[in-house]
Amino acid sequence: MDTLTLLLKGFSVALQPTNLMFCLIGTVLGTAIGVLPGLGPALTIALLLPVTASLAPESAFIMFAGILYGAMFGGSTTSILLNTPGESGSMMTALEGNKMAKHGRGAAALATAAIGSFVAGTIGTIGLTFLAPYVAELAYLFGPEDYFALMILSFTSVAVVMGSSRVRGFVALFLGLALGVVGIDSQTGQARMVFGNPELMDGIQLTIVLVSLFAIGECFFVASRFSNAPPAINPMSGGATMTREDWRRSWKPWLRGTFIGFPIGALPAGGSEIPTFLSYTIEKRLSKKPEEFGHGAIEGVAGPEAANNAAAAGILVPLLTLGLPTSATAAILLAAFQNYNIQPGPELFQNNPALVWSLIASLYIGNIMLLVLNLPLAGVWVRLLLIPRPYLYAGIMVFALIGVWGISRSWMDLLIMVTLGLAGYVMRVYDFPIAPVLIGLILGPMAETQLRRALAISQGNPLGLVNTPLSAGIWLCAIAAFFLPLLMDRLKKSA
Amino acid sequence: MASLLCYAHTESSQAVKAPVKVPMDGGKPMDPSTDANAHSADAAPRPWWIGFAVIAIGAFWLYGASLLQLGSTHAKVGPGVFVMMTGGGLVLLGLILLVQIARGARFETQESEDADGNQPADWKAFGTAVLAASLPLYTMERFGFVATAGVMFALIARAFGSRRLLLDIVIGVALAAICWFGFSKLGVDLGRAWIVPKLIDLVPRFSFT
Repeated sequence: MDTLTLLLKGFSVALQPTNLMFCLIGTVLGTAIGVLPGLGPALTIALLLPVTASLAPESAFIMFAGILYGAMFGGSTTSILLNTPGESGSMMTALEGNKMAKHGRGAAALATAAIGSFVAGTIGTIGLTFLAPYVAELAYLFGPEDYFALMILSFTSVAVVMGSSRVRGFVALFLGLALGVVGIDSQTGQARMVFGNPELMDGIQLTIVLVSLFAIGECFFVASRFSNAPPAINPMSGGATMTREDWRRSWKPWLRGTFIGFPIGALPAGGSEIPTFLSYTIEKRLSKKPEEFGHGAIEGVAGPEAANNAAAAGILVPLLTLGLPTSATAAILLAAFQNYNIQPGPELFQNNPALVWSLIASLYIGNIMLLVLNLPLAGVWVRLLLIPRPYLYAGIMVFALIGVWGISRSWMDLLIMVTLGLAGYVMRVYDFPIAPVLIGLILGPMAETQLRRALAISQGNPLGLVNTPLSAGIWLCAIAAFFLPLLMDRLKKSA
Repeated sequence: MASLLCYAHTESSQAVKAPVKVPMDGGKPMDPSTDANAHSADAAPRPWWIGFAVIAIGAFWLYGASLLQLGSTHAKVGPGVFVMMTGGGLVLLGLILLVQIARGARFETQESEDADGNQPADWKAFGTAVLAASLPLYTMERFGFVATAGVMFALIARAFGSRRLLLDIVIGVALAAICWFGFSKLGVDLGRAWIVPKLIDLVPRFSFT
C-alpha cells in the first residue's frame, strides 16, 4: 500500500469522535501547560501515563501528540506576552516577540507565531509522512553494530547539544546510563546494583526519574529562589493583527524556518535550540531591515517559531522509525510505547500501521485545532498565569506524588523521588542539563544489548563495532558532533 | 581531550540565554549586563564537592561492577562490563570536572520562570520543600494517601510564601481526596486513602524491604 492510502486510513481512525476528543483534550492541556511555569510536555505525559493504561494506544498517542504540539503554541504565547520563554526553543521568539508586544504589536506577533507554527507543523508532518516509511525500510538493513553506532551518535549529540558545557552534558548522560543498569540484566538474568532490594529488581522507571528531576527538582529550586513577581501581562490594546506588510515579511521566514527545523530535528542530534538559533541568525542576515532586530522584528518571531515546530515534527522521525529518542519528550513517548509493549522501529510500521498512521493523521488535525484555539484565545490562556504560585507548585507536587506512588506503591520509589529531586536541584544550581539523564536511562539498556550482540558476533573483537561502512560513518558523525559546540560558538559570536 | 577541558560556559552564549527581566511596573527593562558584571567581579566559587560527588557515584558503580562477572564464555561480554563502563566514565568525568573547577569554570545558576538565579538561596523555604517531599517516606504507609498529599500540599504552599497553614491543609486534603477518587475511577491504585494508625506503627522502621 502506498503512503497516501495508509494516511487516509489513519485519518479514518483519528477522525473517530473519541479520538477527536482525545486530540482536543491533548491540545487544550498542551497549551495550558505550555503557558504555565513548572510543567512541560514531557512531565505532563509522564503524569498521564498511569491514567492512559486503560486506553487504546491510538487514543493515548493522539492525546500525547496534541500535548507535544500544544505546549509549543502555549510556550510562544508566554514568551511573546510575558518574556518568559518556558523552554529553550522559544528563547529566540521572546527576544523579538516581546519587543513587538511592548510596541503594542502583540497581536501581530502572536498571529505570526501561531500561523508560522501551523505552517511549519503541517509541512513537518508532511515530511514525516513521506520520509518515515523510507527510513523505516532502511532501518531493516541495520545490524547490531549499526544500531550501537547510532546510539553513540545519539548520546554524543544529546550530551553536547543540550547543555552549556560538554563535560556537564556527559556527566548527566552517564548518570542516566548508571541508573539504567539497575535491575535484572536482560541477557543473563542477574541482578545488578540491586543490593538485595527486591523493589529495585525491575529497574528504575523513566517516569519516576523524569518526575523527580523535573517536578520535584524544579519545585525545590524555585522555592529556594522564589521571586514573587505578579505576571506583567503586556496590554494587547492597539494590537492590530497582521498587516499586509507583516504577511509579506512573514511567509518566507516561515518556510525557511521549517526547512531548517525539520531536518535538524530529524537528525539524532535533535533539540530545538540549534534550529531556532540558526533561523534567527539567517533571518537577521537576510532581512531588509536588520536594524529592527532587537527592537521587534517580525521575521525574528516568524522564523524561529516555525523552526521550533518543524523540529518537533522532525523529532518524531527517529523516534518512530528507529526507536531513538532525541529529547526528554521523545524519551517519555518511547516509554509510553514500551508500556503498551510496542517497540518503535521498523517493525512498528509493519505491525501497527493503524497506530502510526492515526498518530500522524492526528498531527494534521491537532495543528488545525491549535490554530483555532490560539489565534483568538491567546489573551484567555495568559489568564492561567494568575493562579497563585503557592497553590500552583503545591498542586504540581501532589500530581508528582500521584505519578510516582501510582506506579507500584513502592516505598523505594518515594526514596528515589526525594534523592533525585535533590539531584535535580543541584543540577539546576550548577547548570547541568537534565534531558541527557533521561536519554541515557532509556537508551542505555538498548545500547548495551546491541553492544553485546555486536561483540558476540565479532567474537569479542572491538573492531567488529565499526566493520560496516554504515557503522563507521555514524561513528565519524558522532565524533563530528562532539566538536559542534566550537562551530556554534563561532556562529553566536558572529550573530 | 584538551578542547574538552577548555570548553566552559562562554560569555557569548550567556548573553543570549539570560532573558531581559521586565520590572513589574512595565518600565524600562533592567540591563542584565550590570548583574552579570557584579557577579563576575567576585572570585568564582569553587564547588569542589560536585567533582567529588560525581567520582563517588562512579566509584559506587565500579564497586557494583566488581560483584558481577565481566566475561562470558559464549557471549564474550558479561553483565558487569557495561556497569563498569558507566562507573569508570563517571569517575573520569568527575576528574575532568575537578580540573575545570581548578581552572575557575563558572557554574551559572539556570534561569527558571518564577526563580531569580542571581538571588541567594532561601534555605528555610528550600528546607520546607524538601521536608514536604520527604514526608511521604514516613506517612504514606501509616496515614494513607489523602493525609499525606494534603499536608504535603500545605507545606509546599508554605515554602512558596503562603501563611494560612490551616486553610492550606483543608484545601490540600480536599484536593487529595478528589484526586484519590478521580484517579481510582481512571484505574490508578493509590493505595488506601485514609489510615488511622495504631501507636506501634508510628515507630520508624529502617528496613529497605
